Amino acid sequence: MPVVHLTDDVGGHVAAGVRAMGPWLLGVAPFGMVIGISAAQADLPTLAGWLTGPLVFAGSAQVATIQLLDEGASPVVVVVAALAINLRLVLYSATMAPHWHGASRRFQALAGYLLIDPTLAVGVDGYEGATRPTHGHARYLGAGAALWVTWLAAIAVGATAGASLPAGRHLEMVIPLFLIGELVPRLDDRTVRRAAAAAAALALASQGFPLHLGALVAIVGGLAVALANEPSQEVSP
Amino acid sequence: MTPWLVVLAVGAGSYLFRISMLVVAARRGVPPLAARIARHAVPVSFAVIATGGLVGQLGATAADLAPLGAAVLAVAAVRRTGSPNAALVVGMPALWALTAVLP
Repeated sequence: MPVVHLTDDVGGHVAAGVRAMGPWLLGVAPFGMVIGISAAQADLPTLAGWLTGPLVFAGSAQVATIQLLDEGASPVVVVVAALAINLRLVLYSATMAPHWHGASRRFQALAGYLLIDPTLAVGVDGYEGATRPTHGHARYLGAGAALWVTWLAAIAVGATAGASLPAGRHLEMVIPLFLIGELVPRLDDRTVRRAAAAAAALALASQGFPLHLGALVAIVGGLAVALANEPSQEVSP
Repeated sequence: MTPWLVVLAVGAGSYLFRISMLVVAARRGVPPLAARIARHAVPVSFAVIATGGLVGQLGATAADLAPLGAAVLAVAAVRRTGSPNAALVVGMPALWALTAVLP
């Protein structure tokens, strides 16, 4: 089990992680505020919406959870939809596993909790440049801590602002518009375009399903279309 | 199940995903089907949730069509600028303007 010695200048590597996370924070802070505003406006306890921050710690899945709970979707639908979005974390876990192999269980537990797109990017970069694994660990934790604090603070600020905004601002459209913004650039890919179109059509067709089970049907149908339309892999000689 | 339990379940499942491969990947690697689904799950889920959220706000009057108009303008803005942020920057003011103008 690697031991981090004070002589390794742990503080310096932690600070390097915080600095490396800086540009990401500029992008995620507004996103966190949007989630906070949505949580305050949604038909669920604002604290429950804010708790998606520390418990889920993944913006897209938090958006799905808040939006579907607000629509009155079945709990099973909400959980399946959010976890489908977070399935990519399995791939991230596989990416970091070699770097964390042999580290203490406590470190693995904490590092795993902080694993998300920005920490993956900063973490992989840090481990590739580190002369010792412990330096990479310290850098990763510094980056993760900076992201965690900023994310939760941004959601809290958004929730506070959202609760004080007057009615009639149509803030219920914030999440659909946010999702449109995230989706449209991905439609350049033919497979994604077909899958998204099929999923949206199924979502429309299944509007009357009880407990919003139509959302589950649409997600499964969209994924099936995506898998059926993936470009075939060419085998190199 | 209350919203609290739903949030807890999503958080617990997400955490299991995060640590899953620390145990499994070293021996077996990522299951190929999981890797393929993970590539497509985000856009598919976003399309479904955005559609549901949008349709839920449409109604019978002309003013009720304002969310649809705002969504169309948001798509055009993202297409034109290439920035996801354009959807909110253009869509929300468009929604307010259309709601005020449409009868």
